[in-house]
Amino acid sequence: MNLAVAFQTGLLEIGAHKFRSFLSMLGIVLGVSSLVSTLALTTGIERGTRAFMQQVGGLEFVSVVDKEISSRMYDFANLSPGRTLRDAYAIRLASPLISHVSPELGFGAVVAGGGHSDRKQVLGVFPDHFTVARHELLAGRFLCDLDIERAARCVVIGNTICQILWPNDKPPDIVGRTIQINDRPFAVVGVFPKYERESDKRSKVASGKKTFYRRAKKVYDPFGGKNESVLIPFSTMFYEFRSGAFPLDSMDSVRIGRLTLRVGDLSKFRPALDSVRAALNVTHRGVDDYDLDTREEWFDRMEASIRATRLSGGLIATISLVVGGIGIMNIMLASISERVREIGIRLAIGARGSDIFIQIIVESVTIAFIGGLLGIVAAFGLIKVLELIAPSENSPVMTLGAVGFSVLFAILAGFISGIYPALRASRLNPIAALRYE
Amino acid sequence: MSTAVPLVHLEDVRKIYRVGDQEIRALNGINLRIDAGEFVSIIGPSGSGKSTLMHLLGCLDTPTTGRMEICGNDLSRASQNTLAAVRNREIGFVFQSFNLLGKLNVVKNIELPLVYAGVPAAERRRRAEKAACDVGLGDRLSNRPVQLSGGQCQRVAIARALVNNPQIVFGDEPTGNLDSAMGVLILEMFKDLNAAGKTIVLVTHDPDIAAVSKRVIEIRDGIIQREYAP
Repeated sequence: MNLAVAFQTGLLEIGAHKFRSFLSMLGIVLGVSSLVSTLALTTGIERGTRAFMQQVGGLEFVSVVDKEISSRMYDFANLSPGRTLRDAYAIRLASPLISHVSPELGFGAVVAGGGHSDRKQVLGVFPDHFTVARHELLAGRFLCDLDIERAARCVVIGNTICQILWPNDKPPDIVGRTIQINDRPFAVVGVFPKYERESDKRSKVASGKKTFYRRAKKVYDPFGGKNESVLIPFSTMFYEFRSGAFPLDSMDSVRIGRLTLRVGDLSKFRPALDSVRAALNVTHRGVDDYDLDTREEWFDRMEASIRATRLSGGLIATISLVVGGIGIMNIMLASISERVREIGIRLAIGARGSDIFIQIIVESVTIAFIGGLLGIVAAFGLIKVLELIAPSENSPVMTLGAVGFSVLFAILAGFISGIYPALRASRLNPIAALRYE
Repeated sequence: MSTAVPLVHLEDVRKIYRVGDQEIRALNGINLRIDAGEFVSIIGPSGSGKSTLMHLLGCLDTPTTGRMEICGNDLSRASQNTLAAVRNREIGFVFQSFNLLGKLNVVKNIELPLVYAGVPAAERRRRAEKAACDVGLGDRLSNRPVQLSGGQCQRVAIARALVNNPQIVFGDEPTGNLDSAMGVLILEMFKDLNAAGKTIVLVTHDPDIAAVSKRVIEIRDGIIQREYAP
């Protein structure tokens, strides 16, 4: 018996008992819709998290930090010059696997302009900082090598600083104006855009449209520091503000604040870290007062929580699919006991047990398949509702893979739950089945 | 001794059912030979074993002991699948209660044996339509059985029995559910089929119906009691 005929017969049978078929599909519909929407939700969370990871510098971001030196090194602690610009030079020279090296020299200073002033952290940086810290430019330019060489008095400022100094002007207009840092004039050469999380952007759009949802209190903003940037050339920082503090230091030997790196190729992450350690071991004269801080663990934790969400959602969906499968089995059993005579007739005119088996299986798979399709439609609706309720959360993403997987899963549930009824139907005795009333 | 090919050959066939401790000997040693082109009636009162015999001849069942050959296949110990294949190829059934599928229209009903024989759809349709026309139902192709009269239903059943061009056509009380005029018409069709060369086996309790055939086999208590030509 060919499958096309079995499928036709199945459709006919489903059409003959529309309500009953719909009831038996309902379990599958619920199962598939919850599976699809769970997958969509977790995919949305995953994408949001990954986008956030990228925004904060991604896995490529490595920072050189202080470490409590080990006790056996204690006597040699003074040998180490600490974190200096020499570390940056050494890493840049010794490790081709590191694409960008960004040393920073920080200094708290009064930033004034436009009739306003505020105490802010000013950073002396190199051009690499732009890439390592994942900055974007709203207007103007970033600091360049020439600024470093000439120790130019130029500055790039973040969006929040613009708002503080010139609250009534648009940030792009501020390029070219002059601000005072501890009373020394600096030309603003560039302005950063406002950095914010995707979800914050969305909640702003949403609360602009509707008033029932609003963030009540100020929450942690991971981009607060970035928006308050006041960046000047490293050399300018040293000569203008820091050389007086430590008169014996040269620019190369002054202890720098942060030293952050960017790994060029993630597939060579470990070798890159090793080469950095080798370089630092030389500049720190063998004293282990440094460590490399990576985001691996942090990211791993995020991945783990995504996996956990997916697993629990998948489990719920699987259970409802199993329940749906049981529903189908129930209906198929009822259906075959109602159709004993029909099966007898088919057997009498030459159907084999396997023909009957295939027909029942095809019917149950067809029910599951249609249920799966309805489930996907339901999932679309469900996702729309979710988006309406919580517009600021990571928007669910429905992937073709998730949809295909769910439908396949539904078909599998239909297949498995069809086996037992199909076996019973195919083992009917033709004579008894023909006599059955 | 006939030189014709034996279509049915039974040798000391017994069928014994066990109901609890009780043994029911439905068939108790049947020897029977039916050749191609014969028109045979099997008659007997209810409980005589004629239904059991027809189930065996129609390859719906196998004997408990004895030897059974249908259309050259030894089916004494055949599996359900072998029986199904022989049923499909060599045997057409016409039942008392028509046994049409109510959800299918006339053509689809007639097509069914071809579906299980694995005939392609277009060919199936062509042969089914031809079979329907042969029984005079060319204008009712897309009707459902409930829209047809009893006689028309039985003609659909005959078309279905013939569509696979089987060697033997069985009629199990084929006129039992019809009024006498329609019954006569159906019996005429069987006669015409026999005249065209088909082997026909009718099972009935009514000697008048058996009288249309050329050879009557009377069964009682599981054995052939007598055999005569009407």
